[in-house]
Amino acid sequence: MAVETKPAGAVADHKEMLISGSEACAEALTLADLDVVTAYPIRPYDTVMQAIAKKIANGHLEAEYIVAEGEHSQFEIVKHASTVGARVFCGSSGVGWMYAMECLTVTPPLRVPMVCMVGNRALDDPGAFGVEHNDALVVRDLGWLLIWVDTAQEMLDTTLLAYRIAEDRRVFLPIAISADGAFLTHSQTICQVPSRALVDKFLPRYDRGDLLLHPDNPITVAPQANEDWVIEIRRQNDEAMKRATAVIDEAYADFRKVMGRGPENPWFEEYMTEDAEIILIGMGTISLPMKVGIRNMRAQGKKVGLIRPRWFRPFPTERLVKALSKASAIGVIDRDYSFGSPFNSGVVANEIRAAMYNADKRPPLLSFICGLGGREVTLEDVAKAADMCYAAAKAGKSDPKTHWLGVRE
Amino acid sequence: MAHFTCEVVYRGIFQKNLAARICRGIVLSARKAGRWGIAFGRYGDSPQRNGIPAKDFAIVADSQEELEQNMARYEPKEVDVTICVDDTLSKGVESWAWYGLQPINRLTVSGGTVLMTSLQSPAALLKDIHKKEAPYTLALIRAKASFSGLWVYKEDHTEARILGALAKIQPEFLSLDAVCQAIQEAEWGSDLKVASARKAHERLETQPIKITEGNAEIPYAFEKPKWWEMREGVTIPAIPIGKPMEGGKGYVPERNPYFKKYTTRTMRPVIDFDKCVKCTLCWIQCPDSCFDVTPEGLYDANMESCCGCGVCEAVCPAKDCVTMVREDAFEDNASQWEMWRTDKAKYTTWMTDKIHSKEHITRSHGFRFRGQYEEEIKKDLEQGGIEITAGIPGENAAGKK
Amino acid sequence: MADTAFTNATQILEPFKGVKKVTIEEYFTSGHRTCQGCESALVMKLMVKAAGPRTIVLGSTGCMYVANTTYYTTPWVVPWMHTQLGSSGSAALGTAAGLKALMKKGKMKSEPINVIAFCGDGGGADMGLGAISATLTHKEYNSLILLYDNESYANTDIQLSGSTPYGANTTFSPPGSVKRLIHTRWKKNTAGMLAAGHTECRYVATVCASYAVEMMNKVRKALTIGGPTFIHSLDPCPKGWDYDPMLSHELGELAVETGIFPLYEVENGVVRHYGKTKAIVEGRPRKPVREYLLKQGRFAHFTEEDLGYFQSKVDEMWDKWEIPGVIPFWKERPGAK
Repeated sequence: MAVETKPAGAVADHKEMLISGSEACAEALTLADLDVVTAYPIRPYDTVMQAIAKKIANGHLEAEYIVAEGEHSQFEIVKHASTVGARVFCGSSGVGWMYAMECLTVTPPLRVPMVCMVGNRALDDPGAFGVEHNDALVVRDLGWLLIWVDTAQEMLDTTLLAYRIAEDRRVFLPIAISADGAFLTHSQTICQVPSRALVDKFLPRYDRGDLLLHPDNPITVAPQANEDWVIEIRRQNDEAMKRATAVIDEAYADFRKVMGRGPENPWFEEYMTEDAEIILIGMGTISLPMKVGIRNMRAQGKKVGLIRPRWFRPFPTERLVKALSKASAIGVIDRDYSFGSPFNSGVVANEIRAAMYNADKRPPLLSFICGLGGREVTLEDVAKAADMCYAAAKAGKSDPKTHWLGVRE
Repeated sequence: MAHFTCEVVYRGIFQKNLAARICRGIVLSARKAGRWGIAFGRYGDSPQRNGIPAKDFAIVADSQEELEQNMARYEPKEVDVTICVDDTLSKGVESWAWYGLQPINRLTVSGGTVLMTSLQSPAALLKDIHKKEAPYTLALIRAKASFSGLWVYKEDHTEARILGALAKIQPEFLSLDAVCQAIQEAEWGSDLKVASARKAHERLETQPIKITEGNAEIPYAFEKPKWWEMREGVTIPAIPIGKPMEGGKGYVPERNPYFKKYTTRTMRPVIDFDKCVKCTLCWIQCPDSCFDVTPEGLYDANMESCCGCGVCEAVCPAKDCVTMVREDAFEDNASQWEMWRTDKAKYTTWMTDKIHSKEHITRSHGFRFRGQYEEEIKKDLEQGGIEITAGIPGENAAGKK
Repeated sequence: MADTAFTNATQILEPFKGVKKVTIEEYFTSGHRTCQGCESALVMKLMVKAAGPRTIVLGSTGCMYVANTTYYTTPWVVPWMHTQLGSSGSAALGTAAGLKALMKKGKMKSEPINVIAFCGDGGGADMGLGAISATLTHKEYNSLILLYDNESYANTDIQLSGSTPYGANTTFSPPGSVKRLIHTRWKKNTAGMLAAGHTECRYVATVCASYAVEMMNKVRKALTIGGPTFIHSLDPCPKGWDYDPMLSHELGELAVETGIFPLYEVENGVVRHYGKTKAIVEGRPRKPVREYLLKQGRFAHFTEEDLGYFQSKVDEMWDKWEIPGVIPFWKERPGAK
């Protein structure tokens, strides 16, 4: 009798599938027993909605699937479904996400734990489908949890974790999972997909508790308020975001226990940082060419490492500062822009600068903008960034000028 | 005194334009004397609602720096003069939820003035105006409250008279001549209005009020919760469901404890229970759900909730069953049905007395037809007295009179 | 798990047989910061009185949001939630879909719960028209969208909307010395438009709270019939229209008796005029529009020409329209070839 062998990297109680980031998300949603989802077409995120439609049509998932007439309605519909206790999912890209902006602002104070996928896409104008991070970043002040993933596996796992974290009563905040358009949403890789039994051990039911909108719990949600009330309400949101950190650590620990796999550090991935002289930083799939570039540089004797932040909100200030302090210079590659900001840097660079401000050891920090609108980040770009960091490390100080890499000039 | 602060307390919407004219008039008058000023509405009142008490402010100072101290704020902490353009506001002001009942003289400084348009005597007014822990002056302009609306204004010279009176109260900031000049130049100004201002200046009645004088009622107040005491998710409990009134019959709704609304009214319905035909129309058409249903199926307007709109009188088909009577005829919010139930004869006497007081001072609050204000003003001038504007028949007009 | 299997049933709310049979309980109670004589507040009261306690109400931004819950307070007895200005359609749909999903999957006890989303004329007929339209195509979800029309963006201190009558004075259309009428658009025919455009929506009706029992019965019918439904209520507004609050009831009647606001329902595609409107269709003369218009300060600047024009447009609705007061198609146009 032939003995069935599992391929290398297979995990117990998981099955292997060749799926894209969007499809991985749909797998997770099926396992999470999603209740209500709303769809509206815009590239590149909407492949996830197409995947969900197939799951429903073929009887794998029972959920109310509503095609809205615009992103504003799309997000408002699931916001309301969540208030009556339904587990919901939504998503968009680029200007579609912008069209939903009014809903995006109200869901954090309403404490609606909607899980969304943002297929990062350049904002119009020009109309372009390629990846930029500004769409998801736009909500960074409002109370959303924000996380960037870089593989389909991570997309799947993060979707499950997202429900666990967002729907925790201590948190009850919406979460956007950012997946780079095309590179992640559309590319298919081998993923380990857990069984329903495993997921049920990890993910409890959504229980809205005393905030549930139902005739058995008569409440008024969001009465009009004035200067006597608003700052207190904001303070509550501040507290919820602060509590999220512990909830995130707990959730990942539980994930590792149940699934038998998963990152030790939820907050960011560290690649060859143990002895790194130069640490480069990038979010999302930019990590892939960066890792290749780093291996090449290592072969040349250059000790370069990578930190790929996952969680952007809450921002893991202390941990990140600790990890970065040991470097001789830091290079942040933003796949976004923030025109007119300090040093005209990207968003991530300015946040890391702010995080480092009070650190005992503040290595020189260089800011790079690269890969906008889906332009590939090349190995030359990575090497150039690293070399400039080496120069700064040698000089002992950073040039605050922001460098645009890969622009035809 | 290097600056002078004034508040105008008024009936929202009905007197919105009047209050704005007064405050602007104060600043423009002070400008004539080389002073700086700012006029503003209270942002928290916005959007204003018909009848709900609102406040506008005018602040005048000798220098720009002093003026700056008072800018970018929602309201001053104290005022030199409180101008009240509807004397039913003497009973107190409740402008929004959690506001509580605030006495008309609450912001008035010690030794300041409450300037009111009223036809009542000071003694009558002091039954309503709460006691203050400091002395102040009560100044009266003999006039009916001036009610208009957003689009059509009643040119009865109230703003001119107030400005003239202010010149008497605060001459060091507003001389009569400066006031008259500002009125003359205003887009709503005229020679006649200047004359009215001068007359008001002449005829102003003042009376010092001691700390022992006034209504002894303790006005209700609320304490706001801390941020961690508030339920998360911008959520508050709903109002509980109401209950039968007595013996399982009738109905009394639970009501919002944080906003009662009775300081909105300038008149209240007086009900002749013996005439009631139990048609239910007052109860069903009341936008404020004021009517408690009694065990025998009568309708008792709850006087904490009634805001005096007059719809009940308009829709009631029974002749003289519901009559709107000016608010200053009453001293409490007692239940009329309880009074009637306890002693029907006594109630009839009380009720008859109140209804007849109507012939002196029924209020019209608002526009009913084009040319109405001109007619009213003309009649006022001709008769030297007060125009009574009666209600307009409602749904069952044929059944009335 | 679930006590009963899910059937997507609605509550069976029988029409009130007269005013004495109306529910005594109040589900929208005293203590809201609305104007004296606010007819929209009356609509809220009657709407939930008709719907009963097993109801969830979603209220979009506007007077019936801000005035009712100023500041951090509530007059609502049933569960109520704020939604965005243009979101009444989405709120109705999302709430209904959430409840349905949970009940179907046994995650919540199955019972018919009324879902009512309300909007003003600004939020509903302007900004949120697209969302309402979408919801009316979703026959598998039960809800009522109630549009309370005070003919302006009232909560922001009276600005004109697509439902403001021709020539009315608002802060965006003040009659000035050079331009007397800034607003010369004719009011949108919202109820007719929605009824005509959504053939699977089983119920659209127009109501006026001056006719309280009929209004409540239309609400009951909408909640009972199943699927998404729409009701348009005309609400005289003492603040925006500038009149003595005690006239609120009378002005509602006059709006109907002049033919300006027709009362009708479209039930499973069948149009029925009712109340005083039915009498008009059967030949009773309409009161002249001036009787209604000149009782309101917002038309105090009207000339005879303005009144004449207004009258002619209302005459058209009754004399020329294919379905009087409802559908504005003419059989033929004089002079057109």
